[in-house]
Amino acid sequence: MVKVTVDELRASMDNKHNIRNMSVIAHVDHGKSTLTDSLVAAAGIIAQDAAGDVRMTDTRADEAERGITIKSTGISLRYEMPQEALKRLGGERRGGGGSSASYLINLVDSPGHVDFSSEVTAALRITDGALVVVDCIEGVCVQTETVLRQALAERIKPVLAVNKMDRCFLELQQSGEEAYQAFRRVIENANVIAATYEDGGLGDCQVSPEKGTVAFSAGLHGWAFTLPDFARMYAAKFNVDEARMTERLWGEHFFDPATRTWSTRPTGSPTCQRGFVQFCYQPIRQVIDACMTSDDKEKKLWPMLAKLRVALRAEDRELSGKELMKRVMQAWLPASAALLEMIVFHLPSPAEAQQYRVETLYEGPLDDAYATGISNCDAEGPLMLYVSKMIPASDKGRFYAFGRVFSGTVATGTKVRIMGPNYVPGGKKDLYVKTVQRTVIWMGKRLESVENVPCGNTVALVGLDRFITKNATLTNDKAVDAHPMKAMKFSVSPAVHKSVACKNAAGLPKLVEGLKRLAKSDPLVTCTITETGEHVIAGVGELHLEICIKDLQQDFMSGTEIVVGPPIVAYRETVLARSCRTVMSKSPNKHNRLYMEAWPLEKELAKAIDDELVGSKDEVKVRARVLSEEFGWDKDLAKKIWCFGPDATGPNMFVDMCRGVQYVGEIRDSVVAGFQWASKEGALAEESMRGVCFELRDVVLHADAIHRGGGQIIPTARRAVYAAQLTAMPRLMEPVYLVDIQAPERATGSIYGLLSKKRGSVIEERHRPGTPLVNFKAYLPVIESLEFTERLRAETSGEAFPQCVFDHWEAVNSDPLEGGSTAAKLVGDIRRRKGLKDMMPLSEFEDRL
Amino acid sequence: MEADVGSRYEIPRTAEFLRARAYTRVALQFPDEMLKDAPAVARALRRELSSGGGGVRVFVMADTAYNSCCVDEVGASHIDAQCVVHYGHACMSPTSNLPAFFVLGKAPLDVHACASSMLECSRKGNKRILVLYGLEYAYALDDLRRTFEESCKSKSCNPEVQYADVLCSVMSPSSSTADENDHPQSSGASCHVDLSIKSDVPTYLNNRCSMECPSSTHKYNLGGVTWNISAEEKMEDYLIFWIGQDNSAFANIVLTFNKCEIVRYDAIKSQLSTDFSHLMKVLRRRYYLVEKAKDANIIGILVGTLGVAGYLHVIEQLKEVIRAAGKKSYTLVMGRPNSAKLANFPECEVFVYVSCAQTALLDSKDFLAPVITPFEAVLAFSRGREWTGEYLLDFKDLITSEKQEVTVATEEARFSFIKGAYVEDNCTQESMEQSETSLTLAEVTEKALSIQNQNNDAVLYRGRAMSSIDYLKARSYRGLTGDYEGPAPDSILVGRTGRAAGYNDEKTQSAQ
Repeated sequence: MVKVTVDELRASMDNKHNIRNMSVIAHVDHGKSTLTDSLVAAAGIIAQDAAGDVRMTDTRADEAERGITIKSTGISLRYEMPQEALKRLGGERRGGGGSSASYLINLVDSPGHVDFSSEVTAALRITDGALVVVDCIEGVCVQTETVLRQALAERIKPVLAVNKMDRCFLELQQSGEEAYQAFRRVIENANVIAATYEDGGLGDCQVSPEKGTVAFSAGLHGWAFTLPDFARMYAAKFNVDEARMTERLWGEHFFDPATRTWSTRPTGSPTCQRGFVQFCYQPIRQVIDACMTSDDKEKKLWPMLAKLRVALRAEDRELSGKELMKRVMQAWLPASAALLEMIVFHLPSPAEAQQYRVETLYEGPLDDAYATGISNCDAEGPLMLYVSKMIPASDKGRFYAFGRVFSGTVATGTKVRIMGPNYVPGGKKDLYVKTVQRTVIWMGKRLESVENVPCGNTVALVGLDRFITKNATLTNDKAVDAHPMKAMKFSVSPAVHKSVACKNAAGLPKLVEGLKRLAKSDPLVTCTITETGEHVIAGVGELHLEICIKDLQQDFMSGTEIVVGPPIVAYRETVLARSCRTVMSKSPNKHNRLYMEAWPLEKELAKAIDDELVGSKDEVKVRARVLSEEFGWDKDLAKKIWCFGPDATGPNMFVDMCRGVQYVGEIRDSVVAGFQWASKEGALAEESMRGVCFELRDVVLHADAIHRGGGQIIPTARRAVYAAQLTAMPRLMEPVYLVDIQAPERATGSIYGLLSKKRGSVIEERHRPGTPLVNFKAYLPVIESLEFTERLRAETSGEAFPQCVFDHWEAVNSDPLEGGSTAAKLVGDIRRRKGLKDMMPLSEFEDRL
Repeated sequence: MEADVGSRYEIPRTAEFLRARAYTRVALQFPDEMLKDAPAVARALRRELSSGGGGVRVFVMADTAYNSCCVDEVGASHIDAQCVVHYGHACMSPTSNLPAFFVLGKAPLDVHACASSMLECSRKGNKRILVLYGLEYAYALDDLRRTFEESCKSKSCNPEVQYADVLCSVMSPSSSTADENDHPQSSGASCHVDLSIKSDVPTYLNNRCSMECPSSTHKYNLGGVTWNISAEEKMEDYLIFWIGQDNSAFANIVLTFNKCEIVRYDAIKSQLSTDFSHLMKVLRRRYYLVEKAKDANIIGILVGTLGVAGYLHVIEQLKEVIRAAGKKSYTLVMGRPNSAKLANFPECEVFVYVSCAQTALLDSKDFLAPVITPFEAVLAFSRGREWTGEYLLDFKDLITSEKQEVTVATEEARFSFIKGAYVEDNCTQESMEQSETSLTLAEVTEKALSIQNQNNDAVLYRGRAMSSIDYLKARSYRGLTGDYEGPAPDSILVGRTGRAAGYNDEKTQSAQ
């Protein structure tokens, strides 16, 4: 079966101009993995007829079961470019490709579900081009936009595949013009996104069918075409230039077969049709119809195929219906040929891409040896390898470090310097020197050892898993002056938490070990411990968490039983108004008094602190300017910020408003320590505070330094902060998802019903022209979302598909200080879960003269 | 009244003990709740002693520096006492200098109700029963045993029950063990006095830690009671039947034998309870604190006892462990810790409290930094050690259990569950580099002060400080410094008058 040997594959790795590193990205269920199969088939790893069914890159059992991709999978394909195609590429081919006609395609199939978008981020880092797959009916969806934006930010060149063409023909029976409009919209939408997020260094990222950067495909049936493909067929027939023909197959070009003339607008004649419809859509429709309906194949189908010069194998001629259609289409318009040609023609080789990617990849100066090595894609240069993810090996608990060689060559036995994410050039932290035990390349489900891997390729390394936590930059061991490559930025963050415990107390060490492994295997899962001593796993969404817990139990704990707790949602505490009075707290020795007030920060300001637009590291004057210009703060006030909190960076502030008081400078550190402490564990339910500014209004201090030390001031500052919080209309804040739901129109009613039941609110409802689908955007509290997906699927019989991404914090609309209110109940629940006593009354924190 | 005191406080027995050893200066230690009886007890004891020779001086001690369950040796040595008579609840931690005599008190116990509860337990499970009890119930044990056997006979069943013994009512410090053996024991003591006298300190320290006795039994000793089980059995094979209150002694039992089945017989309410979820919560919380301690760079060792034998040894051992982990430790003596005292050392990210077993658990919710026990500290600071569910509260157990095992130096970064990520610990080599000369401190200080810190906030509030010098360096106010740059000091002004709770001028303000 396997036509390509490891040695051949390895040989083609040296030819950096004939390599294409590409990822397949799309919205969930748009057919990435299925389309990938067609490519794999072309490389001879799986049989052509099985293409579309195997989902070669879904290597995990649960992936196959659920029919979704969970982990991104790398696969190296070798593709022999036919001579005639090569000729066409001719002028465009850059560098010393020589006479070689074989191309190496390192393909990474990535998941489409938003919960796994970290996998996409990791995939994009190690590739240069992206095949963006879009369902021609559903069009550009949220996740398409997200991944495309990520790709452009990483300077990844996109090409588009308009997929699921078969649905137009079979399911929807669209007319040519309808289909054309749908396709045009898809392409336009994609281009709008590309234009919005375009990066200067990447050049033109607009895709267009005439240029050949858009393919039309039917992954399930294994066929695809690009306009140049059709143009080539007709060029000879009409005796026109191929390029000219290509142009006429898209856009406002109409052809009337009766008069055999082209025009740029419909002439009104019934036979006049758009070029695309006339020459691409209709012929396919005819062939498909002939396959599906015609009982009399002899009369219609066989002559048609003969005309198209499609040869079918004898046994395939016996088939009928869909099977026949699939075989015929595969023979006529093989997906692999069209897609691979597009990939090879229009996606950059590493040699090309690294020239412009080096700026966004390398942290160090762009003129040092390493940057030069990357930009020249020099196999002889210094080693620069980025490990983007850790892949669990079949050997339990061990990992392959999967990444891309950007410069130099990595070989079995190479001594490498591992620079972790916390490494600072010149420092000793997060730095190891270790030997690579084995270098491995991925061929679908199989791993093959190779002696070395030169730059421009993806590689898996064995023996470094102990020293790499999630990701790292690898260089030669002597390269002490090398800087690491830039860390990846993830577009989502963990929002759902669940506690895990082992059924048997003796299993605790196993659980701990398992959690460590889990944290390593997935960049976006966090394993923490609560104050009550429970282990908590946090994931991006419910699905993500579910997969993580399954991995934990089965792969990392070898099946030890674990007990999974109910989902936990983290809350925040905030205030709505300025404290109703200045509160005062006395120190334990009663010799010192602090007067404080609290008031809510502007919403945008809290967000800006989160995004590190305003922060503790800023210059005081700069910060004051930003605050006064953008948030309307008083300039003097802005200069009096003592600190941010919690953890000195959080979205709360402490401002000193004392006037003419002695020793305030002395107690500053103590007061700030108290504020840090209190803002981490608020007075309501010991959740972190958010968006609160505390003002120190006045202080009375003992004249003797010994009586105003940290021991007296820190606990007092904490109490005063609590008192100020409780007098300023305290509220709980809950996290809110932005939910994107795509559903058929008839499900609208039940979606609205369910959303309102779950305290959600629709913010946008958009009909997709030409389709029966509606897109909703809605806000939904995270706590309510936990069963939302399932309920929605049940109520709409699986037709509505929601994707949730954390969006913002929203104050719970009731007073937690009022007995019996929703918020008060919530506070009680949280406190009980944390094993805390009932909420303290204000009198515990506020003292009186 | 006087007679009542005599029996409740076991005056005759005490007097006999004191006379037998010919002590002339005796300290009586009372917990706060018994202090009201102290004069009467002292009077009664003096009267009793004067009848047999006299010349014995008796002192009453109260308000102990640490906890009233421990023998306050320092307090007693202020008056050059030769012996301490300890009243009330005791943790029975071995003393280091002075002999002690324990009067455990007698709390009322309904023997029949208790025996029937035991019978009920034995019917329910098929495990053997091990009876443990608060020391205040020790006097009733013989009664209970008899009653239980009788009721067994009447119901014609024969459950296996083992009773723990009281360790001793006399405790001798390690140094004077040798001559203790020569002393004839007062025969009047109902408790097993001889046991403690014969056992010298090494065995004393060993006896919780699976010491192989010749008779192939494991000997356990916890909270003043002791029992043996045969080597083939584990503690999990027993059902622990605790008679007493839900106090720290009981918490000790539950945490130490957290895998055992335990029932508690409440002698006041005369009922059984099996719900110890609050204590299991404590255990989980301790687990969290261990994880938190792993992230700490600066550790304060709080000396919580000046009496319990071996405390100096443990402190030394802790310092060693902390140093080996590449962390900094500071030893602090501050009496009973409270939040204000601990907040005076904001640089310490965790405190280790070296004290007797029954005061070791401090719930540190109000403290700026968590307070952990020496056992937890060893767990946290030895790389490669994981919590396996076992739990020791008594630090003397630690001395022997900790065989300074050579931890395999794994180079893998440590996973911090607090931060939820792998973190890099400080190189141990770095701390080794510093030569142990007399100038070390000065050199380190100089070095630390010369390094410019980029982010003071991170050092101050996110635990990035490596030593208190780092911390000091990051502070915005570092105390009075020589190079005062401000304007000339103001002339002397008349300050405020009145009390700090409200100065005179403020009072008039509020009146307006």
